Amino acid sequence: MRRQLPTSPWLFAAPGMLIIGVFILYPFVSTLVNAFTDRRTLIPGEFVGLANFRELVQDDMFWIGLRNSTLYVLGVVPALVILPLLLALLVQKNIPGITFFRSAFYTPVVASIVVVGLIWVWLLDERGLVNALLEAIGVGRVGFLSDQWLLLLSAMAVTVWKGLGYYMIIYLAALANVPRELHEAAAVDGAGAIRRFRTVTVPAVRSTMVLVGALSSVAAFKVFSEVYLMAGPTGGPAGEDTTLVMLVQRTGTGLTGRVGYASAISVVVFVVTVALMLLVLRADRREES
Amino acid sequence: MPVSRRALAAAFAVCVVLPLSACGSGGGDGAATDASGKVEGDITFQTWNLRANFKDYFEGLIADFEKKYPGTDVKWIDQPAEGYADKISADAAGGTLPDVVNVSPDLVAPLAKAGLALDLDKAASRYEKEYLPGAWASHRIPGMTGTYAFPWYLNTGPLFYNKTLFKEAGLDAEQPPKTYDEVFDAALRMAEKTDGEVATLANVPTIEDFGRYGVQLMNKEGDAFTFNDAKGVELFTKYKELYDAKALDPQALTATPESSGKKFLTGAVAMNPGSALDLGNFKKQAPNLYKNIGITDQITSTGHVNMYVMGVMVNAQTKRTPAAVAFAHYVTDAAHQMSFAQQVAIFPSTAGSLDDPYFTKEDGTDETRVRVAAAKSLKNAVNYTPVLFSEQMKTELRNEVAKALQGKESPKEALDNAVEACNRLLQQQG
Amino acid sequence: MSLLEKARTAASKPPAAAREPRVTDEHGRHVRVWELTLRYLLLLAVLALTVGPFLWQLSTSLKGPTEDIFSSPPKFLPGEPTLHNYERVADTIPVWDYALNSLKVATANVVTNCVGAALAGYALARLRYRGRRAATLAFILAMLVPVEGIIIAQFTTMRELGLNNTLVGVVLPGSISALNVLLMRNAFLNLPYEIEEAAYVDGANVWQRFLRIALPSVKGTVAVVAIFAFMGAWDDFLWPLIVLSDPSKFTLTIGLNYLHGTFANDERLVAAGTIIAVAPLIALFACLQRYFFRGVGEGAVKG
Repeated sequence: MRRQLPTSPWLFAAPGMLIIGVFILYPFVSTLVNAFTDRRTLIPGEFVGLANFRELVQDDMFWIGLRNSTLYVLGVVPALVILPLLLALLVQKNIPGITFFRSAFYTPVVASIVVVGLIWVWLLDERGLVNALLEAIGVGRVGFLSDQWLLLLSAMAVTVWKGLGYYMIIYLAALANVPRELHEAAAVDGAGAIRRFRTVTVPAVRSTMVLVGALSSVAAFKVFSEVYLMAGPTGGPAGEDTTLVMLVQRTGTGLTGRVGYASAISVVVFVVTVALMLLVLRADRREES
Repeated sequence: MPVSRRALAAAFAVCVVLPLSACGSGGGDGAATDASGKVEGDITFQTWNLRANFKDYFEGLIADFEKKYPGTDVKWIDQPAEGYADKISADAAGGTLPDVVNVSPDLVAPLAKAGLALDLDKAASRYEKEYLPGAWASHRIPGMTGTYAFPWYLNTGPLFYNKTLFKEAGLDAEQPPKTYDEVFDAALRMAEKTDGEVATLANVPTIEDFGRYGVQLMNKEGDAFTFNDAKGVELFTKYKELYDAKALDPQALTATPESSGKKFLTGAVAMNPGSALDLGNFKKQAPNLYKNIGITDQITSTGHVNMYVMGVMVNAQTKRTPAAVAFAHYVTDAAHQMSFAQQVAIFPSTAGSLDDPYFTKEDGTDETRVRVAAAKSLKNAVNYTPVLFSEQMKTELRNEVAKALQGKESPKEALDNAVEACNRLLQQQG
Repeated sequence: MSLLEKARTAASKPPAAAREPRVTDEHGRHVRVWELTLRYLLLLAVLALTVGPFLWQLSTSLKGPTEDIFSSPPKFLPGEPTLHNYERVADTIPVWDYALNSLKVATANVVTNCVGAALAGYALARLRYRGRRAATLAFILAMLVPVEGIIIAQFTTMRELGLNNTLVGVVLPGSISALNVLLMRNAFLNLPYEIEEAAYVDGANVWQRFLRIALPSVKGTVAVVAIFAFMGAWDDFLWPLIVLSDPSKFTLTIGLNYLHGTFANDERLVAAGTIIAVAPLIALFACLQRYFFRGVGEGAVKG
């Protein structure tokens, strides 16, 4: 394809590059610079070399944050790769009323995270609906919002709950690509639903699964709102539910924010997400070959 | 890694194209601190979540001001409750802070240090005598000279308790606890009688709790925290005991004022601090509870109850210093505070206002009883929270407190760690 | 409330379906009854899980001032349903003005994202030029940047551009999101090359190929991007809060936060507010869903 003006690719990409450059990458480069200063919200900083990073490795809260963000990836990503695929299969067939179900499953995605947070905090409250139901069936009350691990788990559940519809859509688009003939051939061979899922569906949507895996792991590692809203700004009991981005927010914002230190944490978050992305892509490539 | 180098090159390539790098922040020409000129010009006034309920009040106030000083134009902007500190930070960092800003003492301190709050001792000292001395002093900052905001409305309140729960636990619902020891005893009884089902307290101790217990929070110079002294450890050890007995709600470690308020409403917790505002809330949201609500005085060992102070600050970089100072004073003067106090259950910080019959005469209703008691206690109330105690420090304290309650460290160790962390943050704030 | 009705009609469906065994799927093939029943049961279970929480909130918002909303065990249905709380929300804050601002911001965001992301995605997927890999990486990097850490820097930039306190300033940073660009790129990459090759042979230039061939084939992804963009703009809280000062320009999410503050703490009002925030999106989606899901299906070229 040679018939294109030499400038046209750049014309196509220019608006996007401009917006991304001015409002994301440029502020981020200044964050990179700030990471090596002791800048505070209202006080311009001085260059301090690696001091922020040295403080970081000795900061217990940093390690708690790294642990929680990592756990979040491990907990949320498998669920978000598999469950929405199953859901997409469930709503794929055009049976009566299916469009209603599809849209209904999408409602959690549509609602803002603040609204979702308010709703779930009330549901999971010690005397909320969920505990009332649990008590009715004899399990007894569970401290979803007071135990450090249950809190993290509840937040993960909300992330999965809110993400189901989102990734379902992506899978639906991919499933439309899977030729029916493959399924039929497998069915004729006597393959059951589970085997057909493994041998036909999964290979056909594998690249989409990788995409979903990459997107959800990046989002999971950067998790903020769910944990912030459910565990509170200080991150649950003794701050044990703090995630890395929460730590960025907590140390770096407000009038007394330590912008330099928070920037150093941002840099770590960025480096880890880049590594995660590369990891997912490499795993994909290896499987492909 | 050729890939990452190219990526970096791309990132920089994008940035170099941008015509942004050379922009300085404009308007650094140092506004006058002299407030004696003519009151005129356009100013902006920012409040903190007051529009929804008091739109008419503020619009009327602004119209009166503009009539009194022809040639002035006040633009009122109101910010929602959440994210207020973030909003002010962005404006302060970006040079877009309004001329007159509604602040709390902990917001004033960093703004004053950055030279963004006007020193009223210099610009408006003649107004000092109009306010309660304690209220005027609440916007002074240790280590700095000067006062950086007009005091505005005050709030304090009683301790509410659930009479039904008290009776069920065999406690005298008509003789509520009056001292710390009595509260602790009642809490332990309650937990024992209900098998840990009903807690009496819903919140872990905060910095103002230590203050009210009589703990010395900071040293005299105001450059180091000292709440890990014997008295602090004593109070905290007691809380640990309550927590272990479930007399302090097991969910207290993750509680917020809102969540503990809800717990009180649902009858899961027997006592809750509150203010006159809450009475109406109880009536609306939990009519059953309202019938059985008990009201008692705030517990304090120092003889001074805790109060919360709101202030009105003048931006030191305003182009209209005379108008800004005049307006900030106008909002907070005795007449306007009095009329504001009659709109909502808050209290004026102006001298003499609390002697108004509105704050001294009971008419037999719970509302006036709470109001009169609060007004009386406010005359010598203290804002215990040190102005230098930042959000980050609150988090440090809260997390150390939680660790000790969970048994991961002793109360003494927890307070030592908290003090150390807060002192470090204090140094870093510069 | 139409949602409620819909939920009820949907709930009454499985028995009807069971009585009528000759059900066929979109290809006219028979579907076994037990399989269909199982499907509907699963669908209903997921429905309860995804929509139930919203209905609970709706129920709270319809409860009158005399009803104890904290009673335990909880009451699922309001004793005397009332719209009083919604009236109070409208009396307390100018809901319609805020909703209009939100609509402006969200619509602008949809347009810029669809156009910008499609253009950039096409450039990344289809056009050959030096620096393409670098450009792709720039977008990937941008997607990875933790936004919470750069918000003040973004504000400073916006102020230097003189766009703080404008709705344009609210839209700009997210007007072409890196994620959407990459979604579009993937969609274009999945198109078979041959179609465009043929157009090229016919003498179509790059704009014609983009507009007439590539873009219509990825309608589904464009629909996805449009919905994402609308939601993202409608739901955003922190950025509009920071960039806007003037309450007359506030968007709905910020405006509703007034209900959640010190002097107006009423659960019923907050619930009514959240329903007001969610309802337009659900309504919009309900109207567009036919097109949306068809688009999603069509977006992929069938081999």
